[in-house]
Amino acid sequence: MPKRAAIALAAATMLLTAAPAPAHHAFSSEFDVEKPLRLQGVVTVMEWVNPHSWVHVDVKSPEGTANWMVEGGSPNQLLRLGFTKNALMPGMEIVVTGFQAKDGTNKAVGRDLTFADGRKLFLSESAAGVQK
Amino acid sequence: MIGRWLVAMGVAAAAAAPPAWTPPRTPDGRPDLQGIWTNATITPLERPRELGAKEYYTEEEAAEYRKKALVPQSTAERGGTEAHYEFTQFGLDRSQAQIAFSMRTSMIVGPEGRVPPVTAEAQQRNAERAARNKGHEFDGPENRTIQERCIVWGNEGPPMLPPGYNSFLQIVQTPAYVAIMQEMIHDARIIPLDGSAHPPRSVRRWLGDSRGRWEGDTLVVDTTNFTDQTNFRGSRENLHVVERFTRVDDATIRYEFTVDDPTTWAKPWSAELPLVKDKGPIYEYACHEANYGLANNLRGARAKEKAEEAKTGKKDPQ
Repeated sequence: MPKRAAIALAAATMLLTAAPAPAHHAFSSEFDVEKPLRLQGVVTVMEWVNPHSWVHVDVKSPEGTANWMVEGGSPNQLLRLGFTKNALMPGMEIVVTGFQAKDGTNKAVGRDLTFADGRKLFLSESAAGVQK
Repeated sequence: MIGRWLVAMGVAAAAAAPPAWTPPRTPDGRPDLQGIWTNATITPLERPRELGAKEYYTEEEAAEYRKKALVPQSTAERGGTEAHYEFTQFGLDRSQAQIAFSMRTSMIVGPEGRVPPVTAEAQQRNAERAARNKGHEFDGPENRTIQERCIVWGNEGPPMLPPGYNSFLQIVQTPAYVAIMQEMIHDARIIPLDGSAHPPRSVRRWLGDSRGRWEGDTLVVDTTNFTDQTNFRGSRENLHVVERFTRVDDATIRYEFTVDDPTTWAKPWSAELPLVKDKGPIYEYACHEANYGLANNLRGARAKEKAEEAKTGKKDPQ
């Protein structure tokens, strides 16, 4: 799989006319593009659930610690790529850039999820290195 | 030009020729369709208009098309919204999945390669239906789509079309039944092979009522009795689907379907796509389990109403 991903990345960058992404629900009505955010914090729970995974993160600020829920993609393909439930454990520090929920609560969609050192959380090349 | 046409004809003839290969068989002598299969594809349902009547790519064209189609795309490019997780970061883009490749330029077969126009009657019916929900899309869960409510995924069908990700299905077979379970969203069709008729039209099912039979080495499945909430490209309770499953080699089932609904299309139309064997496993997709998105959407709408009330001092008339 890493080889396949590398080939795909090396391939020409021409774009195709793509079909709309088959999102399970209306993200544009769940999250607010006018409320971009960046969260840096410590994972408390990763919910490996469908239709979408949710990462819970404790974010510290001068006002105290707030727990945020961050929505991601279906976890099924992560399992196929070799990730396990140990790939993202409580205590790991991550950075999320995304958009806050329209209901104004501590929920967000994660556009980009990285570790504190900038490595992407879930890419097939890194699956081989995760704790099985 | 003539040369290219001959190549395309050659491919078409090869695809239509009776297979010399003999399928593995179940103890009762039927072709064994069992296993886990993927229908993930880069082939669109409808043929791009610029390809006209060209049904098949040449080997060179197909290779070039694959190269382009498997370049990962950002979610904003695919879906048009920034407020979305990245498909690439969850392994859900096509470059990170097994793909069932085809030489076809579209799943829809024939010179037109496109869904026939929807009849005026169907356009009016569907417009009226959409109008009834207009302005009420977020009133409550019943106003949301059956997909968002985790009832039926849009591409489950039948006909079964690739859902875009987690594109896997499992077939289990006995002399009396065939069962087809699709990972998205974990529904199983249990199809009797006993020659029995469909139930009365008063019995309606989310996935329709499927009855199967063998025609030589091809499993033919006939499905009717859909609900009026079915929406297959504008066709609803009158949708009639005939699917054909034929094993063509060790790794492939040729999956063909014809859909018919005189209240929606002027004529029936047909498509074909491969199902390619996958090592599995198939994973549970318990959609209701954590469908927080549905509640979040409704809460977002309530927050918007409150904000508007605070601004205008008027209550939402809904």
